[in-house]
Amino acid sequence: MEINLNRTDYLQVGVTSQKTMRLLPALGRKATQKVAVADHDGVITCFGMKKGEAVPVFKTLPGHKITRLDLGGAIGTPQEKIFVCAGSEVKGFTKKGKQFLSFEANLTESINAMHVSGADLFVCASYIYNHYCDCKDQDYYLSGDKINDIVCLPAENLGRIVPVLACQDRVLRVLQGSELLYQIEVPGPPSVLELYNRDGGTNSEDILYGTVDGKLGQIRLTDTSSSSKWEIDNEKKKGGVLCIDTFDILGDGVKDILVGRDDGTVEVYGFDSSNEPTLRFEHVLSESVTSIQGGCVGKESYEEVLTATYTGWLTGLTTEPQQAEAGPGEEVKMSRETQSKVAALRAELDQLQMKVLQGREKYQQTSQSSTAVSAVPVFSVNDKFTLCQDDASYSLALEVQTAIDNLLLQSDVPIDLLDVDKNSAVVSFSECDSEPNGNFLLATYRCQANTTRLELKVRSIEGQYGTLQAYITPRLQPKTCQVRQYLIKPLSLHQRTHAIDQNRPMNTLSLVGQFSFAEIHSWVVFCLPEVPEKTPAGENITFYFQNTFLGTQLEATYCKGEGHFKSDNISTISILKDVFSKEATKRKINLNISYDINEESVGHTLRMIHPKLEYQLLLAKKVQLIDALKELQVHEGNTDFLIPEYRNILDESDYLVEEYKKQPAHLERLYGMITDLFIDKFKFKGQNVKTKVSLLLEILDNYDLDSLMNFFNEA
Amino acid sequence: MLVPIFTLKLNHKINPRMVTIGKFDGVHPCLTAATQAGKVFIHNPHMRSQRQAAHRLSQSAQDSDISLLNINQAVSCLTAGTLRPSTTGDTLLVGTQTNLLAYDVHDNADIFYREVADGANAIVLGKLGNIESPLAIIGGNCALQGFDFNGHDQFWTVTGDNVRSLMLCDFTGDGKNELLVGSEDFDIRVFKEDELLSEMAENETVTSLCHMHGSRFGYALANGTVGVYDRTARYWRIKSKNHAMSIHAFDLNADGVVELITGWSNGKIDARSDRTGEVIFKDNFSSSVAGVVEGDYRMDGKTQLICTSVEGEVRGYLPASQEMKGNLMDSSVEQDLIRELCQRRQNLLLELRNYEENAKQDVLGASDGDSQMGVIPANTQLQTALSVRAATESQKAHIELSISTPNETIIRAVLIFAEGIFEGESHVVHPSTQNLSGCIRVPIIPPKDIPVDLHVKAFVGGKSSSQFHVFEITRQLPRFSMYDLHVDPEAPQPTGKVTFTINDRPQRVVMWLNQNFLLPEGVDTPDVAFTCLRGGGLLSLSMLSTSGEMTLNTDDIDLAGDLVQSLSSFLAMDDLQSQADFPTYFGELRTTLTEVDDYHSVHQKLTAAIADHSNNIRTMLVQAEDARLMGDMKNMKKRYIELYDLNRDLINEYKIRSNNHNALLACLKSVNQAIQRAGRLRVGKPKNQVITACRDAIKNNNVNALFKIMRAGTASS
Repeated sequence: MEINLNRTDYLQVGVTSQKTMRLLPALGRKATQKVAVADHDGVITCFGMKKGEAVPVFKTLPGHKITRLDLGGAIGTPQEKIFVCAGSEVKGFTKKGKQFLSFEANLTESINAMHVSGADLFVCASYIYNHYCDCKDQDYYLSGDKINDIVCLPAENLGRIVPVLACQDRVLRVLQGSELLYQIEVPGPPSVLELYNRDGGTNSEDILYGTVDGKLGQIRLTDTSSSSKWEIDNEKKKGGVLCIDTFDILGDGVKDILVGRDDGTVEVYGFDSSNEPTLRFEHVLSESVTSIQGGCVGKESYEEVLTATYTGWLTGLTTEPQQAEAGPGEEVKMSRETQSKVAALRAELDQLQMKVLQGREKYQQTSQSSTAVSAVPVFSVNDKFTLCQDDASYSLALEVQTAIDNLLLQSDVPIDLLDVDKNSAVVSFSECDSEPNGNFLLATYRCQANTTRLELKVRSIEGQYGTLQAYITPRLQPKTCQVRQYLIKPLSLHQRTHAIDQNRPMNTLSLVGQFSFAEIHSWVVFCLPEVPEKTPAGENITFYFQNTFLGTQLEATYCKGEGHFKSDNISTISILKDVFSKEATKRKINLNISYDINEESVGHTLRMIHPKLEYQLLLAKKVQLIDALKELQVHEGNTDFLIPEYRNILDESDYLVEEYKKQPAHLERLYGMITDLFIDKFKFKGQNVKTKVSLLLEILDNYDLDSLMNFFNEA
Repeated sequence: MLVPIFTLKLNHKINPRMVTIGKFDGVHPCLTAATQAGKVFIHNPHMRSQRQAAHRLSQSAQDSDISLLNINQAVSCLTAGTLRPSTTGDTLLVGTQTNLLAYDVHDNADIFYREVADGANAIVLGKLGNIESPLAIIGGNCALQGFDFNGHDQFWTVTGDNVRSLMLCDFTGDGKNELLVGSEDFDIRVFKEDELLSEMAENETVTSLCHMHGSRFGYALANGTVGVYDRTARYWRIKSKNHAMSIHAFDLNADGVVELITGWSNGKIDARSDRTGEVIFKDNFSSSVAGVVEGDYRMDGKTQLICTSVEGEVRGYLPASQEMKGNLMDSSVEQDLIRELCQRRQNLLLELRNYEENAKQDVLGASDGDSQMGVIPANTQLQTALSVRAATESQKAHIELSISTPNETIIRAVLIFAEGIFEGESHVVHPSTQNLSGCIRVPIIPPKDIPVDLHVKAFVGGKSSSQFHVFEITRQLPRFSMYDLHVDPEAPQPTGKVTFTINDRPQRVVMWLNQNFLLPEGVDTPDVAFTCLRGGGLLSLSMLSTSGEMTLNTDDIDLAGDLVQSLSSFLAMDDLQSQADFPTYFGELRTTLTEVDDYHSVHQKLTAAIADHSNNIRTMLVQAEDARLMGDMKNMKKRYIELYDLNRDLINEYKIRSNNHNALLACLKSVNQAIQRAGRLRVGKPKNQVITACRDAIKNNNVNALFKIMRAGTASS
């Protein structure tokens, strides 16, 4: 079933956070719905569309940045009360814009997730979960990692309150009162939770989740356990999921899943006869989609997908067909509505222009005064720095509310900057002076007009750590730039996992010394990504990690005065050892480091690398042959005379080339890691083998697992 | 939305920029392109004739529409068109690094096959100036050559560097075509026959040129820039991170004015308005675009735009019909307009908010300012200064741009955007946190003597700020900036010199000096001496106020040429004759000329040896096969081993030959450059005379005459 949705822009408000736009319930059967949206200026705008124009219902005064918006109301009545949270305060408004509630949650941190259901209010602030009923404190829970979103299964149907927290450490925590009932492992850090069909489905037990790395799924939660209904991987490397809604936009009687992502992708998933979700529609907006809703806004009886984007655009993708206005042989005619809209806009622009000119003049005048200062307010930057599992590289996405003029990237560690197709900015690398200024990368991106979102990729090397800084200059007078810092951690290619294979040969690094739990935790945070900054509750803690590039693993267990780190990769252990001793020396802590090296582990790691290396070598060899074979094919007219292997290469040539392009410098990286492994193995034995590296590279050039193993054993 | 009207998959790779359309039988247009392994394919879907494979042409075994032409050398350029006025069909011209082939596809016969020592990097076919017959003009290493249908070389001149693109158009509007040449020294030169009319300096190798209409033409550079010139004035340009593979002028929206169609290395095709550069249409191929051409490929009387990709995909587009009204893209004009207006409103609102917040800060007073915000005194102004710094032990000679703030604020980083002087388009200075200060010195070493605009962006704020004020300043670097007024009295005087007479006051020359050199205090006399920071050595200028005779003393002939050209254009002189002598350079040139002779003779010897070997191979192969048929395995093995050895020898010889050839090319290039340099010491008519006379001297192998001409500027006396 094909669906064609046409884009219409309605209105622009300020910068919006995730899940801050909702549609109010319709009054009649076919009537249009009103839209409530809240932005970073603290303004709630409620509007409806009349004859193609946005007619405001109400607009509140500016205040604190609003981070969430939800609808509520007494159970059984239309859910048309608007709740917003700003700072640590929750406010309630009627659909007419009258404030009826102002509730100070008295949290030290600001609220970043909220759910309203009847008289129950659930709020979360980084690690803390709170449940209020009629504004009275009920339950409290402290999570092990940051809470990204919260949802609560409908209590009216279940007869009990089941809150679900989406936590950064890749689990969904299901609570009962103030206690953890059970937790569910999900494939990525969950960023958003939503009730399936807005009410949890037939049994009120189904929830939908989306992850930071772009995965989606549906889970059924029962009293004691959970079961995954479906999961969608992110094969095309689209952006992370920011918002989900359930709505039948296809009109086939089955509810569809609407998804908005942080790279601007809007998707509609329909369900086929076997109840598997399939992608039915995709549209790409130029900026992050922060909220998504299905309903009827622009014109009655035409359903649409309404989205809110980061810079505050409310855009509808409607089933209403675009009018074919232009008749043959005449100029493009704008509809009268549009004309008046344009005229009004132009008038407003002229006025603004005048005001801005005055402001500019005044600002210029202050430059004559010797006491005045120039302070430009901080503009908001939406950034995301994440490790991509597939190609073991970091992706940096930056988004500003107005067009970006240029971007300066500076790094004090050697990193590679990769080309991203979506990014149209002109990059230019500048000469670096590692001495005395410690620059290893200086690159400028000059952006094309109207670029509000920029995405780039960075490849790091494990063991080399430091900071990547991005200076963002938007096209806005007076010109300012903002710097953002991103840490490249020593074990930058590691990722949290839920469990590891305990049967592998392991090397162990043990630390004993006079350090507190918080201190050793801070070192682990320093070394490894995806570890919560807060010191975990309890006496000791265990984290599991996986190297995204090689697949080797790491287990970190530590408590006050003691720490054990187990990995099958000797290089990982070596890096940890170096960093820990450096950190301890910095704090003048006497550290007793001991290690237990398992000789077998080196062979094991080499065997793990072997299939990857072999595949890459074979691929390189095949790709090299393609051109010559093609020429033969052209010359001879057919391929019958070729041996099957070559014929096969010709048949698969497109795929091979594609695969080869996908992983640039893959071989070099593998070679680098094998070399590190070699050096580290002998470092633990107290031998310096740097002189033999050239021999090793020679062996790698004529690669064969056995000879490599022998070399490792003999040298 | 405009969609292709036909799509073909040719299953042959296409070399970038080597695509053309020719009506070889006078009627049917055939897409012709160079493909891998020294072949050219001709796609002729109109006549599925079973032509006999003979001579160069062979039918492709896979596809009956395609015939293959064996060139047996890597093709470097090709075109098709009318070369012989009397014939009906188009002639196909194929250039390689050593030869030019004119070929009649219809009759399957060579028209001519000429050796071109300078190679053919680019080719254009058409009428030039007053020359009667159409010429096939090829651009090689610093040289331009035009051949008529007999293969006679009717036109020859030299240019500054290796030619990469050529175009014919009526640049002056006199009804005759001028030749536009884009070369690797970043210049677009306009030749009226062999007279150089004007030069436009760009900042990268000029890879493509295409005529739009009138005197307007499009160009593309190797760094991803595409733009349009009208005569010598640039209309617009855009830069992309991808490279423009091919540009073509075509009226896609049927408004009567051609658009610039660009095919990009990432497979994108876009059509831009010739006036503004605004994109009116775009489409995507799965692989890099190889070439963009036009032709009536469906034989229905309408011309299509035909785009080809390197993987052999071909798409044809018809100009938009009336109904589309120039709106070729899948978007609504009104939506876009409203969106743009809203965007502008949003920007203004944000700017207004900036001023309001700023005013609030003022009221609160400076002390209260959040250090994060990067509050700076409102009267902060950046000071910039340019100065020449001679080489020290730790640093090479450079021009120093110093940027400083007058108060306690610091400069976090400096970005300089400038064209042609940095590796990329920008240079960044980012001191580490402990080295932060209110003053940053940026060393700049411009590689060439060109005037440059430095667009400086400095991030100014406090030490712990996370937001900085961006100061934007533009400074101009004069053309001859790498010259220091401090002269070491011990330094040897240069032996080379140029002398010429100007009919102008010395004050005008002083003005020129002050404008084009980086002089801190300025000078008041035209007699000055400089140290060249780039190559060392001295440069001195002197002028006799009585006769107006000017003397430039330097050993660098290029510099002398640049100075003469710059001074003459400043003083608006049309013609300038000069006497020159550069003993060192001329000495080198003499050696090069002898080397050229040596390489030529080696080349001939090697060719003979190879012919000899190939004869031997033939006999050996016959002997070996004979032995095999007779079952004499021992002998056969022996023969084959011999054959193998001979083959190895041949490969070695080939390597020697190719090295020899490359050395020869380098020498020829430097000879061509020498002629160009000698020309640049003169302006206008004397310049062309020198070039022509030098060329004649080389043709006649008269080395002494060559040097005489270079010195005196004329052939006679």
